[in-house]
Amino acid sequence: MALIEVRKLVKKFGEQTVLNGINLDVSEGDMKVVMGPSGCGKSTLLRCLNRLEDSTSGSIYFRGEEITRPDVDVRALRQHIGFVFQQFALYRHLNVLDNVTLGLIKLKGMSRAEAKRKALFELARLDMLSSADKFPGQLSGGQKQRVALARALAMDPAVVLFDEPTSALDPVMSREVAELMNRLHQEKVTMLCVTHDLQLARQISDKVVFLDKGVVCAEDSIDQLSRHHPDQKIRAFFGQESNS
Amino acid sequence: MNGWLAFQGDLIEQMPLILAGLMQTLTLTVIVSISGLLLGIAVFYGSLSHNTLLSRFIRGYTAFFIGMPLIVLLFLMYYGLPQWGVKLSPFSVAIIGFTLNVAAYNSAYLTSAYNGLDHAELEAARAQGFSSQQIFKLITLPQVLRLSVPALTNQVIGNLKDSSVAFLIQYTEFFARAQELAATNFQFFKAYMLAALVYLALVSLIVLAARWLERRYAIVGFN
Repeated sequence: MALIEVRKLVKKFGEQTVLNGINLDVSEGDMKVVMGPSGCGKSTLLRCLNRLEDSTSGSIYFRGEEITRPDVDVRALRQHIGFVFQQFALYRHLNVLDNVTLGLIKLKGMSRAEAKRKALFELARLDMLSSADKFPGQLSGGQKQRVALARALAMDPAVVLFDEPTSALDPVMSREVAELMNRLHQEKVTMLCVTHDLQLARQISDKVVFLDKGVVCAEDSIDQLSRHHPDQKIRAFFGQESNS
Repeated sequence: MNGWLAFQGDLIEQMPLILAGLMQTLTLTVIVSISGLLLGIAVFYGSLSHNTLLSRFIRGYTAFFIGMPLIVLLFLMYYGLPQWGVKLSPFSVAIIGFTLNVAAYNSAYLTSAYNGLDHAELEAARAQGFSSQQIFKLITLPQVLRLSVPALTNQVIGNLKDSSVAFLIQYTEFFARAQELAATNFQFFKAYMLAALVYLALVSLIVLAARWLERRYAIVGFN
């Protein structure tokens, strides 16, 4: 059984259908990458997975339990699904340490000392220990992304969702984030990443899921999709981007 | 010279009353600054509600109290309400009237700061599993209060200065005592200059405190 199973997921905003019958599996330890052109529904899919958006129809199962039911405890669910945002979204009035401990204290009910120990462990894991007392405004983009990841990992989530994690970063920082994700993958952290950064996709995953017009069109290696996929549009998407 | 001596004599003689008036002014300023801030926070919180009825009510409240001159509100309550059988003391009218007025302004300052927040942070908190109340208490309010320190402390200065209006509803605060001093010896310039200097000194103290608060609670790296 997959950790996350998405079945015939549909999401409409008014008349506009953004997701049109998505089927997707994410197993434990997976590092799955979802790619596709702008507006294809990548981010909406992630947002549906931790119920930031409610789907119109279809089902999502998390550890075998349907989480699209209206009676699901959404707040409890979210504590098991980490989310790393494009623009980092750190709480800027709190220092790095407090950014990580806030959820541990207020959501997991840890004592301050316990939360601090856990947070320092996660910050050390992501090489951010020396910045524990700094505020988000004093960090570079790459450092902010590490803190955002530490904040997500500290909650011991079953899976971490990444929404365009490198789109606000320069190439050097993007490479750092990719290396970090690879390290976490080796540590068996389950991750689902949506991106249009082909370089990032190549660095972190052998296979990608290609989404277009709200449906999964293909799932294969980037080389396979760029050279041998029968759909010219998919070949062009991966071929063109890999040349750029 | 004789005028100065006479003024000083009257000043010394009336000093206990003037000090009592100053205490009344400070009491009113402190109370309405606190109650106006607390009610302002409550109004701001209500304005974030998805309940259409509540948010319409809040919009109406803010528009009504910002739109109405304070003196009109105080007169309405002090002279108007007794005609409906509601008689309130000058102190009660001053506290209630000022609080309603100040809260409307404070909620507008907080709303303005809220509009400048990075809403991705609020979404990140939601994605982490925080409830709406927790997000308000832990993320939204600490940030909007910090960003609003200059506006909120300006409001405290405004409260101090506006407190002089309360003498028109028989609330004998500092300015009312200064009026009495002026009326005793007809030394209007000296009496009102004294009042001006006292207000200026108090405002300077608030400004110093405001600058300290701004430095202490600035959000590092916020542009």
